[in-house]
Amino acid sequence: MTKSYGTYFLPIAVTLFYLFLYIPIFVLVLFSFNDNAFTCAWTFFTTHWYEDLFASSEVWYALKNSLVIACTTVFLSLTIGSTLVFFGSRDVVRRLQILFYGSLAMPEIVLAVGLLSLFSFFAVPLGSMTLIVGHTLLGLGYVIPIVYSRFIELDQSLIEASYDLGATQRQTFFSIVLPLLMPALLSSGLLVFIISLDDFIISFFCAGASVQTLPLYIFAVIRTGASPMINALSTIMLMFSSFFVLLFSFLHIRRTGIPQ
Amino acid sequence: MKIKETINTFIAENTSFIFSVPAVLWQLLFLYVPLFLVLYTSFKRAADSNWLDLTFDHYRTVLGSSYFFIIGRSVCIAAGVAFLCLLCAYPVAYFLALKVNRRWKNVLLFLLTLPFWTNFLIQIYSWVFVLDQNGLINMMLLKLDIIKEPLHMINNTAAIFFVMLYYYLPFMIMPLYSILEKIQYELLEASMDLGATHWQTFKRITLTLSMAGIKTGVFLVFVPAFGEFAIPAIIGGGHHLFVGSLISHYFLIARDDQLGAAFTMISGLVLLICALFFNWFCTVPLQKTQKESA
Repeated sequence: MTKSYGTYFLPIAVTLFYLFLYIPIFVLVLFSFNDNAFTCAWTFFTTHWYEDLFASSEVWYALKNSLVIACTTVFLSLTIGSTLVFFGSRDVVRRLQILFYGSLAMPEIVLAVGLLSLFSFFAVPLGSMTLIVGHTLLGLGYVIPIVYSRFIELDQSLIEASYDLGATQRQTFFSIVLPLLMPALLSSGLLVFIISLDDFIISFFCAGASVQTLPLYIFAVIRTGASPMINALSTIMLMFSSFFVLLFSFLHIRRTGIPQ
Repeated sequence: MKIKETINTFIAENTSFIFSVPAVLWQLLFLYVPLFLVLYTSFKRAADSNWLDLTFDHYRTVLGSSYFFIIGRSVCIAAGVAFLCLLCAYPVAYFLALKVNRRWKNVLLFLLTLPFWTNFLIQIYSWVFVLDQNGLINMMLLKLDIIKEPLHMINNTAAIFFVMLYYYLPFMIMPLYSILEKIQYELLEASMDLGATHWQTFKRITLTLSMAGIKTGVFLVFVPAFGEFAIPAIIGGGHHLFVGSLISHYFLIARDDQLGAAFTMISGLVLLICALFFNWFCTVPLQKTQKESA
């Protein structure tokens, strides 16, 4: 037996890759405990950035805005997207599907410029509403392909059986299709939530001066010289989200017996 | 009562139409109408001129200026990032999909998606702590007496390139992983049994079967990297102009919508040409190998 290079090369490459991936995360967490705000040098261990963070009203205001916008975006893109997939006639949806890839095939900055031109053309005031519009546009580009591909994989005889037994279209949607689509809805909803929460370019163009989201706040702080308070915030967010992701996959394994 | 009944029958008769309208309208109104608006703006002489007063002047200005060079630079950097991402991501995706047991695979996939949960601006900014003059690398190298003076590793194109590579790597791994995972291991074993070397098996079977994933991955990296705005702004200190930075400069700072729109349109066209070229490039060699083996 000759041993391939792969036996040594691949594990080493993968280890190096993960180290590389986690350098900034490590640095991020490390410097959230650093006493020195202005240079990158390590001085003392401190938790006062965490204290500052909880005392700062600006951060919480921005976070609240971001969460409200993200939740509305998820709700809107899931309702609009899943109703199109189920109620729209098969042919129309199949043909129109290409329409929704447009937002993925263009750089986000082009979408942002277009939206800004539209809003200024019709003199729409920039604010949370315009952000929700932009983020939902991004969201539909993910929701519709994911939900649609799951929908056409469904056993169509289940839907036919439901109609045969006298259920209306609405009843079929809520008691048959929606539960079956739940995994696709959950995963695409989660994706849209992250995208909206993390979106910078569309927010930068379409937020105007009136509304501050978390990425915009962070960008402003970085531009003017960052405070490790931001590091503290993302350390906390990272802990929360990894806890939720772990919980999620744990529940999934408990329920189905198979890891995702 | 009469009206309510009419409305109800109308809804019942046109359900399919009514529920398709919001999504399609949303997409048309907020994606395709704005694009036409940008196209129209790029031909308009000035913001307050008559709506039929159209001109090619803005295109001439953009094509005649050195700004055209910025588009070229963005294309090169985006292509370079996409290519290097592909080279780095392929072994990782291959390992995750074909070489590792289920338990480890879940752990590694979890670790791969975790960074997405931190804000991406902060991830990028963390590299400033690493690469800065007083940053982690310089500090270590100075302590170890390898260098006498701190190295300048930030505020240049190489740093922007490096951080873009870092940021876009997971976007390349995901599509590669999902397509490599579908490859049946028996195919690779069969190829080896029939006497092919590792390299031949990789080239003929694995690479050919994963072509769709490579395409998706390259597009997922190339398109956003071409319009990148935040990474040059943070890592490059705002001095290095890319397509994204210039577009935002026109629209938000210079307030010259017409010129900005013309520049956006030209960049979009260049991007489209690159995409078509890449698509052709992927299909032609594939057909050639198929012909050879036939």
